[in-house]
Amino acid sequence: MNTFVQRFSTTGALSEARKAKALAADDEEFSDAAWGSEAGFGNIANGVPTFAVPAVPDPSAFLRLHTDDHADPSCRIKIQHGTTTLAFRYKGGVIVAVDSRATAGSYIASGTVKKVIEINPYLLGTMAGGAADCQYWETYLGIHCRLHELRNRERISVSAASKYLSNLVYSYKGMGLSMGTMICGWDKTGPAVFYVDSDGTRLKGDLFSVGSGSTHAYGVLDQGYHWDLSDEEAQELGRRSIYAAGHRDAFSGNTCNLYHIKQDGWHFLGNFDISKMHYEGPGDVPGSFGKGYGYDIRVEGRSSANPPPAAPTTTVTA
Amino acid sequence: METSFAITGKGYVIVAADTTAARSIVKMKTDEDKIKTLSEHLVMAYSGEPGDTLQFAEYVSRNIRLYAIRNLYALRPAAAAAWIRRALATSLRSRKPYSVNLLLGGYDETEHAPKLYWVDYLGTMDEVPFAAHGYGSYFALSLLDRYHDPSASLEEGLATLKRCIDEVSKRLVVSPGTYKVKIVDKDGVREVEL
Amino acid sequence: MARRYDSRTTIFSPEGKLYQVEYAMEAISHAGTVLGLLAKDGVVLAAEKKVTGKLLDLSATKEGGYGGSGEKVFLLSSNVITGLAGWTADANSLVNFARNAAQQHLLAYDEDIPVELLAQRLCDMKQGYTQFGGLRPFGVSLLYAGYDPQYQFQLYRSDPSGNYSGWKATCIGANNGTAQSLLKQEYKDDIEVKDAIGLALRTMSKTMDSTTLGSEKLEFAVLTLDPVTKKPKAKIYRPAEIDALLEKEGLAKKDEDTEMKAA
Repeated sequence: MNTFVQRFSTTGALSEARKAKALAADDEEFSDAAWGSEAGFGNIANGVPTFAVPAVPDPSAFLRLHTDDHADPSCRIKIQHGTTTLAFRYKGGVIVAVDSRATAGSYIASGTVKKVIEINPYLLGTMAGGAADCQYWETYLGIHCRLHELRNRERISVSAASKYLSNLVYSYKGMGLSMGTMICGWDKTGPAVFYVDSDGTRLKGDLFSVGSGSTHAYGVLDQGYHWDLSDEEAQELGRRSIYAAGHRDAFSGNTCNLYHIKQDGWHFLGNFDISKMHYEGPGDVPGSFGKGYGYDIRVEGRSSANPPPAAPTTTVTA
Repeated sequence: METSFAITGKGYVIVAADTTAARSIVKMKTDEDKIKTLSEHLVMAYSGEPGDTLQFAEYVSRNIRLYAIRNLYALRPAAAAAWIRRALATSLRSRKPYSVNLLLGGYDETEHAPKLYWVDYLGTMDEVPFAAHGYGSYFALSLLDRYHDPSASLEEGLATLKRCIDEVSKRLVVSPGTYKVKIVDKDGVREVEL
Repeated sequence: MARRYDSRTTIFSPEGKLYQVEYAMEAISHAGTVLGLLAKDGVVLAAEKKVTGKLLDLSATKEGGYGGSGEKVFLLSSNVITGLAGWTADANSLVNFARNAAQQHLLAYDEDIPVELLAQRLCDMKQGYTQFGGLRPFGVSLLYAGYDPQYQFQLYRSDPSGNYSGWKATCIGANNGTAQSLLKQEYKDDIEVKDAIGLALRTMSKTMDSTTLGSEKLEFAVLTLDPVTKKPKAKIYRPAEIDALLEKEGLAKKDEDTEMKAA
């Protein structure tokens, strides 16, 4: 009785598909092929794609045991953490700027990391936290964005793409994923930036910065930001903010990669050496004021000394 | 830090929640709406573990909506609160519980009365005349014991809410800057600027 | 090949009918009459009992429990009563299912199940048995008399196909056509329970095969609001109470050809 009740009392497409499959399964005369595309619900009934998890009772504890470089500096796997990434939306599109340093503990593992992941010609993802996590899941996201295009004859919105990623990482919550990313792009609604992290947080906003250097970047970015920035001003602001973080944060630095997303997709604007920016500036690029960003260079020749005006020389005659 | 308040009055309930989304010491966003409208006469303020909050709120709102579609009328606040409480209690006993605290404010059209429920992540639920979550509650609850009036007009209710917000701004070290305020009464849900 | 169609399910006939479902409905049209009346301040159910006789032990119906003799009228939830016509064994199974559904709703929502939702729960299952895997449909029609705060008092009817509908007054079982045309003539929109009781009993006395009405042939129930608590209150009459009611309505021994008499 109860099995009948369970089988027949629920409604909804998903349980219908499940019921149909269960019914078909217990009759060997009834081939699976009869269901064809599973009434269009094949991909739903199969659920969220799964990813292999270490076959241990507590995967996150296992991961922590082998990767935590604070508790055990000698452990074999060190995950890249220090980073500065930023993205902001303004009237001319989206600016995405990141540094390129990869650190493992106090060791600079690489100075030429690509922290912007080119998901497709209209979507960029930034990388902070576990490099492998970001790279793997954002590439995976790219696959699904393309499948969305093929299925729906239309590009995925930035909102939908970021929601896909956030639902995906949320399903692994507590298992040790470490990602802080911005999904940036241009869709029917115009320029868009979404912040997504491995807690499962997803925020829509105009301006975000993620990583150990983010506070330094915010300091410059927030003060220079407004919606009506020109393209040159916006590019300069992104570059200058990454420089600030690269200069002040030990775990960020080396070079800055700069992207601009417009209606026709993203454009790579260049790779800028942070030391060079400090002393000489970004070079002959739009928005540059042709001088080094470094404090000493910027204020060269200026002084705070405020001596009283020299007393007029008077000659006293007896 | 995350703070939310709610106050009932004559024929209405006011629900307020701060609008900051923080990660470590950084405010990632300052205009996040953390009060979801679940039905024509029901709102829910949520706070707690990042990620869990929105996932749980969306799970709840879609189930409440589904019930309304299937039955042509929405769940009454008491029934919705009971269902939501049970969802949290079930979740608490699962492998990965939702860590979400809630304030549910609604207007019961059959009883013609405002309803307010305080719910925490352990699945505790109580119907109360006023409520608060977060550090703000340490200042607001005593204040509301002193100033709350169940028969207060909307203007008086909003003034009392203002007292709570001002007190928290004055005394709490990590006080939130801005709040979103929503009112539920016989006419439905609306947002107001304080 | 043939086995697949015979054993699997109820299948449309070339004329587009579901014979098993129609047979089930036919079975019900021979069952004891059940009649429901929706009044302004309550709902009334009356039912004709079929299992009778001197040797039937009815001692359990005299006291204890919640009233009724357990054949036709049941309490499903504190706010819903039902009257059933058809296969008694199937009916018991449905009553059990309905009670479970009502308690599940109470558990999930801390409120009594809305009447229509309870009817839907049963009909979802009944429908399933007209479509899936070689099963026989339930040979039962039901009347649901209930109360919920959203729509106040309600009366629903469901049949073996899984269809249900809301009524002001309706009837299932034997002679339901006669009863319904009688009800159509006499029903008034603003009828009150005290008058509905009389109308129900009079209609029953005219439709039932037997010449006289008595508690051995009748089950009776009323759902009203408790004047103090404002909560629904179901009253399912005991045999003695039914006899007293018939007496009051002047239906007990009015007929000239009375042959049986209560001592």
